[in-house]
Amino acid sequence: MDPFEKTERKREARHRIRAQRERAGRLKARAVAISLICFALLWGVVFVEMATGNDPVLGDSSSTVAKGSSARNLRAAKAAPAEAEAEAEAVEEEFIEEEPAPVTTSQS
Amino acid sequence: MSTEAHRRFECFGGTATIHVRAASTTAGEKAVDLAQTRLLEAHRRLSRFSDESELTRLNDDPRWEVPATPLMRALADAVRRAGSRSGGLVDATLLDDIERAGYRESLDGEPSISLSEALASRAERAPGTPHPDRLWRSIGVDEAEATVIRRPGVKIDSGGIAKGLLADLLADQLREHQTYAVDCCGDIRIGGRAGQERRVRVDDPFGGGPVHELKLRDGAVATSGIGRRCWVAPDGGAGHHILDPASGEPAFTGIVQATALAPTALLAEVHAKAALLAGPKRADVWLPHGGVVIRDGGEVDVIAAEQPLTELAVTA
Repeated sequence: MDPFEKTERKREARHRIRAQRERAGRLKARAVAISLICFALLWGVVFVEMATGNDPVLGDSSSTVAKGSSARNLRAAKAAPAEAEAEAEAVEEEFIEEEPAPVTTSQS
Repeated sequence: MSTEAHRRFECFGGTATIHVRAASTTAGEKAVDLAQTRLLEAHRRLSRFSDESELTRLNDDPRWEVPATPLMRALADAVRRAGSRSGGLVDATLLDDIERAGYRESLDGEPSISLSEALASRAERAPGTPHPDRLWRSIGVDEAEATVIRRPGVKIDSGGIAKGLLADLLADQLREHQTYAVDCCGDIRIGGRAGQERRVRVDDPFGGGPVHELKLRDGAVATSGIGRRCWVAPDGGAGHHILDPASGEPAFTGIVQATALAPTALLAEVHAKAALLAGPKRADVWLPHGGVVIRDGGEVDVIAAEQPLTELAVTA
């Protein structure tokens, strides 16, 4: 191999190595960028859910008593006002029926 | 759940009401029916305004010892106990005095003069005091012989004592029901197995709305006052049916109405009348279970209880 050819091969080898390094750097940068975007998107969704009151911890699928009670309260609060009013009146009527009639003491 | 049955009817010169909640609504209706029948029958026997009543026959009987029904014996015993418990202030043997004062026949309905006019017609105010003869002491009952014993000529006035007594007797018959209230023209007995509180409004003697409200689970409340039966006396001044035992004259003590709480309606009646007769300075002594006193000017004094209703007061 003449000296000229030898130098040429070395130059080509350095060129390939540089190209490989550049490709590896691009791949690393792309992976980091995708990771950052996925992380930001995930937390963005969580933030929006919390901000709108849809705390996933208080969801219907929860099995604890406290969560169930909160869900019921949430549903009651969302019930139609007329329905809630009618229910309150029924409870009041029941209470009035239970209370003994008042009496008046006057001069005998 | 059953609803409370109510009945309102005229009796003892006023309005009686009975409230009962039983196991069923029908049972409650039956209970008030029976209570009304018994109260009207008792009124027929104990009215001093009827010549046919057992009370009138007893008062006119010249014998020392007179056969009497259980109800009459209970009234005679109550008259003696009322005198004893009140130290003679509540004296139901002043029938001649009250007739002399102008109360000879039933005074149902509106008084002939208003309370304000009655108060204005009499300037002096003084507490009542017991009659020195204390004729109520001569009254006794022989349960074995089923007789009432008293000195001939001593007459019993059924008045408020009969109302309190009957409220208690009816309450004994209704006590197994869930709730009940027997209101004998202002003498009220309240109770029931449910132990529910019942509101008791205190009437305004001057004609306004209720002046106070009490709450009672098991016990009694009674009111005594001078406003309901007022008339113009022979001397031109006002007369009424609460007499000062010592003088035999209508009492103007500075109090127009006294309401007493007590374990029984009879005791409440005695305490209320004694408080009214004692006057403003000593009225609270006669209200150990609490009460409400209204003075001539309309001032309302609410007296706090010093004893629970379950504890019988001994005040003499």
